[in-house]
Amino acid sequence: MPGNEQNSSGLTAVRAIYGNRAKVAARLKEQGRSIVGYFCAYAPNEILTAAGMAPFRIIGDMHEPITEADAYLETIMCPYIRSCFDLGVKGRYRFLDGLLVPHTCDTVERMYNIWRYYLKPQYAQFVNIPHKVRPSSQRFLKGELERFIKKAETWIGEPISEGRLREAIDLHNENRALLRELYDLRKPDPPLISGGEVLQTMIAAMSLPVQESSDLVRSVITEVKARGSGPEQRDARVLVYGPELDDTAFIDLVEDCGANVVADDMCIGSRHFTTDVSVTADPLDGLASRYMEGIPCPRTYKEQPEVGGHPVDLENRFSYLKDMVREFNVNGVIVSVIRFCDTHEMDVPDLLEYLEKYDIPALYIEHDYSMNTIGQLKTRVQAFLEMIG
Amino acid sequence: MEEKRKTTAKKHTRTASNAYQVTKAMYARANEAKAQGGLVAWCMLGVSTEILEAFDIEPVYTENYAAVCAAKQTAGPLIEAAEAEGYSNLVCGYVRTGIGYCLRMQPDGRPPVGYEETSMAKPDLLLACSMVCDPRYKWYQSLQRYLDIPYFFYDVVAPPLDADREDPAVEENYVNYSLEGLRDMVAFLEKHTGKKLDRERLRKIIETTEATRRKRWECYEARKAVPCPMPTGDMLSCLTPGLFLASRPEATKFFEDLYDELQERIRDKVGVVPNEKYRLLWGGGLPPWHNMGIFTYFEEKDAVFVIETAYMPFEPYDVKVKSDDPLELMVRTAYARNTERNRRAMLGCGDVATQNLLDLIRDYKVDGMVMHGSKSCRATTIGQTYYQNMVAEHVKIPTLFIESDIVDTRDYAEADMKMKIDAFIETLAAAKRNNGN
Repeated sequence: MPGNEQNSSGLTAVRAIYGNRAKVAARLKEQGRSIVGYFCAYAPNEILTAAGMAPFRIIGDMHEPITEADAYLETIMCPYIRSCFDLGVKGRYRFLDGLLVPHTCDTVERMYNIWRYYLKPQYAQFVNIPHKVRPSSQRFLKGELERFIKKAETWIGEPISEGRLREAIDLHNENRALLRELYDLRKPDPPLISGGEVLQTMIAAMSLPVQESSDLVRSVITEVKARGSGPEQRDARVLVYGPELDDTAFIDLVEDCGANVVADDMCIGSRHFTTDVSVTADPLDGLASRYMEGIPCPRTYKEQPEVGGHPVDLENRFSYLKDMVREFNVNGVIVSVIRFCDTHEMDVPDLLEYLEKYDIPALYIEHDYSMNTIGQLKTRVQAFLEMIG
Repeated sequence: MEEKRKTTAKKHTRTASNAYQVTKAMYARANEAKAQGGLVAWCMLGVSTEILEAFDIEPVYTENYAAVCAAKQTAGPLIEAAEAEGYSNLVCGYVRTGIGYCLRMQPDGRPPVGYEETSMAKPDLLLACSMVCDPRYKWYQSLQRYLDIPYFFYDVVAPPLDADREDPAVEENYVNYSLEGLRDMVAFLEKHTGKKLDRERLRKIIETTEATRRKRWECYEARKAVPCPMPTGDMLSCLTPGLFLASRPEATKFFEDLYDELQERIRDKVGVVPNEKYRLLWGGGLPPWHNMGIFTYFEEKDAVFVIETAYMPFEPYDVKVKSDDPLELMVRTAYARNTERNRRAMLGCGDVATQNLLDLIRDYKVDGMVMHGSKSCRATTIGQTYYQNMVAEHVKIPTLFIESDIVDTRDYAEADMKMKIDAFIETLAAAKRNNGN
């Protein structure tokens, strides 16, 4: 059965996994799988899959007060990462055999040594992903991926052939294609699937080895297409933008206030699957290219012309968002940024300018990854939805 | 008349007392170059000062300017301007100050009203790198809204702690990428100056930086003396010759003069305070530039910061690197020196930053450590607790954690800060008594 959780499939399995990811981990361990936790959409999980290991997205828990992280981490930093680490210290990630950390932001980068030191995973790898998109950056990243493969081979005690890597890439591309197909179910009016259900599916999908993940997503697509009852039609069709939104609380709040959340630009959303790994003579070239420039996150920088560069830079950074707004028939964007997130906070003025230029109504909110602040946002969200509905 | 609250640190050395003139002169020179039709580049720490000098480009270090504004208590209006534009109050204080400056610049490129005395010349080029933190390259990307000028950015990368730096594949990958970054910057500057890089001149400039670096290192070593001849507040006022203009002969001379002065003070046993009771390490974070008087407050309690991690140079190990290409020489020398640091740390406690703290505590005879968390600086704040925990596995040392910000005065609570410092002094006193001192 897809997901294999309680012998269910589709959204029932999704809810079971979303509510108890540790149960998935326990099953995988019983099956003798090594589980490697990863931060962020930039983690090159294809290499983990090629090594026969199970990638498992590390996320936080907005319902769990951060109580033990203070003995190890500063308070004036990303609350999402503090939550992830707090869960680690409390043993919620004790099933992880390994840790994969891409250099995405300063905070995640620093977590590599801190997590290793306190939680002592058996395997660990840091992948230096350059910020700037350039041929030299791709060559460098290829070298980093080679370093990763070499390390992963020592973990499993056997070589990772080019064939295994190609197969893994195919499997992850297939998974990404299925997630895009899932997201297509949000295009109709009303969407066939709610924003909350989509987020739960994404998190469940990121908790499973790639083939099981694909089976689960396939079963969700089948179920959603076949079911007669989907979300009610609302006047407001909203796209939620923001880093590390890993709990349905905010999405549910927006939908309860009178919107259909029909699209997202989130790390734990569309950024995870927007671009596939291209087929290249050397599969590492395709992998390096995808992770260098295929993920639309503010931490990646694409050059612009030397004069008159700003408008081009804005298009480089945000045109995909404009396209998504059109494709999903969105009438408002909620820009939701976690406090202390430098990369996203620094993009906000340019992002809002861009959305205004294309007459896309936007609401900007900051939150500190706690249920308290989410609740406080209700009035502002309601007012915004009334305006755009 | 109400006495104006003193926010700057008292200077104890003659050389440091004059250091601000060097900083002022740096900004004045850029303004002069601009007026004469020369090229001005806004840049940040990590962008090769040597290469800029080889192209006769006057640099303006925007991070330093934010610190200067903070020290003069003038950063506030610029920060508020940036926040009104939509930048969160958690975005790096240097960035908010710099963006605010652009927002308030007068239409003809003159500085904002009220910032004329020490001002940043309007740039022709923007040069950034990702050394230390991410906001740095995002900052200049944001500046494109206000300055339609060429922007060049390059990644600065380092292998993670657990990588085998001496594996040829790893070394070549990191060295080649760093080299390509510098070569790309050279190509960019050749295009905009219309000049080819004079490699022989660059080689000589690198030698000057090396001379400055070594002399500066000797000055840091001299601070190991008891009593300490030069405190942190003094050394942090010497960043212009130490970092931003290190490639100039006058910077080498600056540290030669400083070194001579320190030797005099060591010979005559002249310390910072008459009775140096407590020797402190500023062990994490950048200082609160808007209130460097905090160092003087410690000194009033006979506690002297004898050394600091902020902007401290690394030991310039002798490494056998040869190359006809000065760019490759710079990159391979830096890589080799960092590899040596790593090697020593792996033989020690296993972590480079922690090993550095342990070495400083031992070599500078440190009694206590202070860590400063800045609300707007993730790069230098995250990890302080982790380092302190690791240090504690090897040596017992009283540690004080304080929080404010690098430039934003709104995050500084004076009464609370003084209370914490007073309590820490008592902790230091108790520790000394327990150790039989």
